[in-house]
Amino acid sequence: MEWMVKANEPGKTYLLQGNEAIVRGALEAGIRFAASYPGSPASEIMAMLGRVAGEMDIYAEWSTNENCAFQACMGASMGQVRSLCVVKQNGLLTIGDALHTAALSGCKGGVVLLAADDPNAHSSTNEFDSRHQARAAGIPMLEPATFQEAKDMMVYAFELSEKLQQVVMVRSVTRICHGRGNVTLGELPESPSQPLPIGEWDRLVAINWFHDMLFAKLDQAQAEFENAPFNGYSGPENPELLIITSGTGWLYSVEAVEALKLEDKVGILKLGTTWPLPEKLVLKYLEKTSRVLVVEEVDPVLEQNVASIIGHNPGLNVSLFGRYKKSALPQSFELNPDVVINALATLMNTEYQPRQTGEVPAEAVVNIPPRDLTFCAGCPHRASFFLLKQTLRIHEGNGVVMGDIGCYTMGGQRAGHFLLHSVACMGAGINMGEGLGQLSRFGFDQPVVALAGDSTFFHSCLPGLVNARYHDANMLFVILDNSATAMTGFQPHPGIDINCMGQPANSISIEKVVEAIGCPVVVADPYEIEATTQIVYDLIKQPGMKVLILRQPCATLAVRTKGRRKVWVDPELCRGDECGCGRFCSKTWGCPGNIWDYEAGKAKIDEVVCIGCGVCATLCPAGAIKVEEGGAV
Amino acid sequence: MPGGMQLKTEVLATSTCALCGACLDWCPYLKNLEDHLVLRFDCPVTEQGRCYSVCPRTFTDWQAINDRFLAGVDYDTDIGAFQTVYRVKSRQSIRDQQDGGTVSTLLRTALLDELVDGVLVTGKEDALTPWPFLAEDAAEIEKAAGSRYLVSPSLRKIIEAREKGLEKLAVVGRPCQVQALRKMEFNRPPDSPALDVLSIGLFCMWSLSWAFKDYLAKTYPGLTFSRMAIPQHEVELTSNEGIKSLPMETVQEFIRTGCRYCLDMTSELADISVGAFEPVPGWNTVVIRSDRGKELLDRAVSQDLLQAEEYPPEELNRLRQASRNKKARGLRNIKQAAEEQKLTPFIDMSQPPYQAIMEESSGKEGF
Repeated sequence: MEWMVKANEPGKTYLLQGNEAIVRGALEAGIRFAASYPGSPASEIMAMLGRVAGEMDIYAEWSTNENCAFQACMGASMGQVRSLCVVKQNGLLTIGDALHTAALSGCKGGVVLLAADDPNAHSSTNEFDSRHQARAAGIPMLEPATFQEAKDMMVYAFELSEKLQQVVMVRSVTRICHGRGNVTLGELPESPSQPLPIGEWDRLVAINWFHDMLFAKLDQAQAEFENAPFNGYSGPENPELLIITSGTGWLYSVEAVEALKLEDKVGILKLGTTWPLPEKLVLKYLEKTSRVLVVEEVDPVLEQNVASIIGHNPGLNVSLFGRYKKSALPQSFELNPDVVINALATLMNTEYQPRQTGEVPAEAVVNIPPRDLTFCAGCPHRASFFLLKQTLRIHEGNGVVMGDIGCYTMGGQRAGHFLLHSVACMGAGINMGEGLGQLSRFGFDQPVVALAGDSTFFHSCLPGLVNARYHDANMLFVILDNSATAMTGFQPHPGIDINCMGQPANSISIEKVVEAIGCPVVVADPYEIEATTQIVYDLIKQPGMKVLILRQPCATLAVRTKGRRKVWVDPELCRGDECGCGRFCSKTWGCPGNIWDYEAGKAKIDEVVCIGCGVCATLCPAGAIKVEEGGAV
Repeated sequence: MPGGMQLKTEVLATSTCALCGACLDWCPYLKNLEDHLVLRFDCPVTEQGRCYSVCPRTFTDWQAINDRFLAGVDYDTDIGAFQTVYRVKSRQSIRDQQDGGTVSTLLRTALLDELVDGVLVTGKEDALTPWPFLAEDAAEIEKAAGSRYLVSPSLRKIIEAREKGLEKLAVVGRPCQVQALRKMEFNRPPDSPALDVLSIGLFCMWSLSWAFKDYLAKTYPGLTFSRMAIPQHEVELTSNEGIKSLPMETVQEFIRTGCRYCLDMTSELADISVGAFEPVPGWNTVVIRSDRGKELLDRAVSQDLLQAEEYPPEELNRLRQASRNKKARGLRNIKQAAEEQKLTPFIDMSQPPYQAIMEESSGKEGF
């Protein structure tokens, strides 16, 4: 909640979402500048900062991509203000070069890089572990284990960043970002940091001369971390087994020890500062035990860093267990208390009786059908995928479709008739398409289609488009323009005329950009399935680099602004279940608004979810679906 | 009767589809654009599939269909059951007529004498691109005059005709389309309305793929064509810069694969079949098969709209041989494709007439 985030009530405790706690921490640290590109689980952070920016007198932007965001923060840092960059795990990888060079140059005003990981890939295509990047770049890293720490670590991180003149990473995970817990507020600064003039000889230069300085800063951070408030031990003086844990692993570990009643045998060393490790602190506890279990999300980063300490201290006699080679815990996917309890029970040779979690009624299990991820009712992507799939089938040339990242990634599944041949990262579609399209010179004759959404287009397709045009790749680049960064929550992007702080912005026309690059570009409406099918068919028959913009606003946005038209099924005309259509509307078209009336044996519209786009009415072979005349959509 | 997936396996995937259009416009899974016909999405229907039951390229007992629709008419193994053959021409000239203007005149008669409520014909978007339409007014028939050589799935319009309430329909179609019309009625589910169609079958050697248009655009950039005809082993295209001739072999490359398996040149299941009368330009050959076909021709002749003359016996033999040659080619192509496991024959190859033709033509090349 906005009012809690900006409440000037030090000492007061509120129930905050982890992302809100992070925002609060950044505000308490006196940030002046914040930049991000939307990505779950971190999206709420910048959205909240944008909303409070005016009142808190800070600047917040949804940057075109993470690289823009991070380097903008480095620029603001030159002006001596504190800057926050927020990314998800993929975004962090996008800024790889920028991060490594920033670590070499160091910063002036504090720069904190909040990287939010998504163990289990709840709302991602992967569960990459951001912590490798802190170690690879050589910057200090903190990992909050609680919501309070999520706030407190932001303040600590900015102070550390300015003390070391180095970027500091705070690594969160979905359970912290999206969970809620009690957070006691600290003081808000009287005013945020004020820009200072940059002198003629002030520099931020990334060059190898500073490599040793980078290590010196890490040593300094390590010395700080030996006494950091986020590290601590609880348990017996000489535990039979020592759990070393960070982040959400800490609560799982506490729960596991309690559940197995092993308080007098197992100790827990909780670390909040995980790169560089506070080596003396870790050594102190390693010397008191012979067995160590490391509990962390996702990769064995902490585990291998502990292994490194063990390897450098030959006097230790410690067996190490964790996620590496599945020695105690699974090597992929998210942990939970049960997984940790089971691992601990095995290591401690005790029985574990799974706790009573409450019986699930049998009829509830039976009545929950397995459900695919799908597009919302009225989503223009459903129409786009439908018409692209049918066009490629009509063309009979085995067209290949390179996917990209956005809502439309779901088009690789049933919702999009399994259209996508590839899914990788932001901007991958056009680049992979360019490469495949070049094979036509060697006789490859399948049409190549690459997809990208409008936000992805600005994020990472521009160099790819230039490359494909310059080399005249034999491909069709389709921009699925729903005028939104929809999946992450409708954040503005450069095609939208409003910015993160709700102020007017200079929106950029996609077709003008494409035309300026020199590509032939066609704009078509995905709702007009038959007409647009013909357009796509004609385009894929043409050689060279072509661009098609399929434009129709995201249905969720459209229904908010324009209202909905009534759609209904005339049961007299509906052919029912036999040959004639075989429930084409609900089964093949698959919009959640098209449902089946089992009693009547006829199609039906779910008026609660239908937004009235009317596309199904154009597809019904019997003309049984009727749409209210006029109306908005 | 199986459904769409079986049609895909047996007909679409084997390229035996004749693109008659009989399966289209009822079904939302089957989709046509230009000369492509595909199952755009997987069809869940596994029983009583309309598409499978009407398709001329799914296995069919043609003898049984012939016996039902042309019962009592003498059967000829070369050109099918027929009563009489005439050479015919229209008494009035018709704009854009291909040969004798007979089809246009028969349609006009059928409509004006109220034998039918509407006619399904194929006009043209441009000189080459076929454009099927339903006409309820005799004045509209002229728009369909002249031959189209690019394939057109015009039978899709049967659905539109039903929706328009046109109960009695005359349909001008290629042999495959006449076959499909007969199968529609032969396999009609008992609870659905009867299909009352007067079929005017065309003589057909093959249809061309739409790639022929691309070829012409590339070969003769900027030219527009107003007519295509095949007088004698050569293709003539009338353009805004005079007549362009193409060797038959060039055009044959664009014959649709599905046509290579066809055994019917003269629309053997039609009520009345019409083709060119080759020896004399401006005349048609007309094969009267059913009584209904006979009635239509009689009416046109008695109203002095058509002039019908006795067919020269030597020409009938030539027609039989041409038809036999097409059967031989089709049988060879089916046999070869079956041997290469590209398809399962959709006819009973063991029937004596087929065996006889295959024997006498063994060693010859298909087109």
